[in-house]
Amino acid sequence: MSEYAIGVFTNIGLISFIALSAYLLLIAGEMSFGQQGFFGVGAYVAGVATAMYGIPLPVAALLAMAAGAAAAFLVGLPTLRLRGLYFAMATLAAAEMLRIVFELIHFQREVEGEPVGPDGTQGFRGIRWVFEAGIEPQDFLAIVWASLALALAMFVIVERSRLGATLRMLGEDPELARSLGIQVERFKLGIAAAAGALAGLGGALYAHHNTYIEPRNFDIMLGVHSLAYALIGGLGTVFGPLLGVLIDIGLLEGSRVFQGYRMIVFGGLVAVLLVFRPRGLLDERFVHRLRHRMFRQT
Amino acid sequence: MFFDLIQNTLDGLAMGSSYALLAVGFTLIFGVLRRVNLSYGPAIMFGGYCATWVHLNFQAGLLALAIITIAGAVLAGAYVERLCFAPHRQGSAIAAMVASFALWMQFEEAVTLVMPSHVYDFPAMYDGPPFEFGSLTLRMEALVMLACAVAISYGLHRVLSGSRFGLAVRAVIDSPVAAQLAGIDVPRVLLQVFLLASSIGGLAGYLIVSTHTQITPMLGMWSTLKGLLAMMIGGLGSLPGAVAGGLVLGVLEAHSQWFLGPQSRDLLAFLLLFGLLAVRPYGLWRASSAEAEA
Repeated sequence: MSEYAIGVFTNIGLISFIALSAYLLLIAGEMSFGQQGFFGVGAYVAGVATAMYGIPLPVAALLAMAAGAAAAFLVGLPTLRLRGLYFAMATLAAAEMLRIVFELIHFQREVEGEPVGPDGTQGFRGIRWVFEAGIEPQDFLAIVWASLALALAMFVIVERSRLGATLRMLGEDPELARSLGIQVERFKLGIAAAAGALAGLGGALYAHHNTYIEPRNFDIMLGVHSLAYALIGGLGTVFGPLLGVLIDIGLLEGSRVFQGYRMIVFGGLVAVLLVFRPRGLLDERFVHRLRHRMFRQT
Repeated sequence: MFFDLIQNTLDGLAMGSSYALLAVGFTLIFGVLRRVNLSYGPAIMFGGYCATWVHLNFQAGLLALAIITIAGAVLAGAYVERLCFAPHRQGSAIAAMVASFALWMQFEEAVTLVMPSHVYDFPAMYDGPPFEFGSLTLRMEALVMLACAVAISYGLHRVLSGSRFGLAVRAVIDSPVAAQLAGIDVPRVLLQVFLLASSIGGLAGYLIVSTHTQITPMLGMWSTLKGLLAMMIGGLGSLPGAVAGGLVLGVLEAHSQWFLGPQSRDLLAFLLLFGLLAVRPYGLWRASSAEAEA
């Protein structure tokens, strides 16, 4: 694989985490504009852990997940009772607050004679753990995709379980769920925290892939993109968000055919696609039919 | 110190009237369609770039530039409505919102393809010195903007409460199905509302860029965010709420910038929005509880 292809596939894997995070909330009936904030929390926490305190990346990634989950839990606590647009706006406000906090943080420490750490709008340089541990780009690609595969496997298991059915019922009809004795608020808080952990893990890997992060990496553009990926890929299966990322980053950016016009092509494609398939390419009906067909053949 | 406070409040009201105008257009779309148009700001930016292009290539007067800005915004708004809102009229609000975001990407790339510089100059509406009252100053543009915000929201209120078109709009708000049965062409009313809101946005855009005397692609996101913030603070779908929300936001920003700096200013604006949503979800001026079901 060429260096360029490795870069593209790593990016696809990294962005898939935040797309999955948005997807998890979407199937539970909540539209979040703020998952980029938790992605950023993960990136900063993991970066501080490895670059400033010499903590190995696996531990730092766990810390990032915990931090992402905690942040999402705190944001969810006062906002999850809001519906629809109100929740979307509250999460957007929370993520923008987090981004501005990243701009305000100046927290540096001498490491081997040089100051290392988040430096406000100047960003956070020198997150070099991957390089120092001697991990080659293709090995890091494998790490990213192995983590992603683990997350996908968990999704598949959950979706086949009772928990998955509850999740979709919450999205379809929260009143029905409530009347069946499900504690909707508590359940949704758990989902929000899980989505935050997922975004945090993605952020941790993202920071270590780029070695440099800055607050505006985590602006509203990333959040709305992740929503768009989940929605064009499809809400029927966990592979939908992945397909969305693949179409945009893989096909349009990676192929370089549409260089200079990528956003025009992608934007038009998304808008037209949503007219015909408002719940994405791999929507529930498609997935259901596919499953039905496979089931009949075996 | 005391004069600083008054001066800040004046500056805040000036800024806030541009937010108010943006929010009036935003809230009109939301109030009628129950959909959020993320491309609202980018359509305004598109209009502004059309006028900038004309300004760079031809000699055009201020009035012509204003008209071109509005026309560009309306044209872009029509494209957004046809592609993102008309097809999802009975369908998913999320799909409509994401589709409008997709077109935002298009507008932004289209203007940077044709006009690649980061910043373009835009002719000022008024060259003279600001008004002075003792040591206080107030820019002419601010007065024009405030007058426009008040006049337009009042005019809109009159149109909505007093004309046949307004009656149709209110019927559609109450119940699209009943309006259709009563012989109202609902899709047409929705398109008209959208175009009306876009033209208000275009006017706001012209006033804003001619006050700043420059335009950048950031205008799109800026207008959407400020309009949305002011609308949420004022309560969704409420015209006086939109004006008040814009002014509150402007004054709050001016004071917090003075005391705490630009980053804290933005932090505070989002904190206000977050806090309001957590404590008083339906805005300072609560419209109706039905709107909670957005």
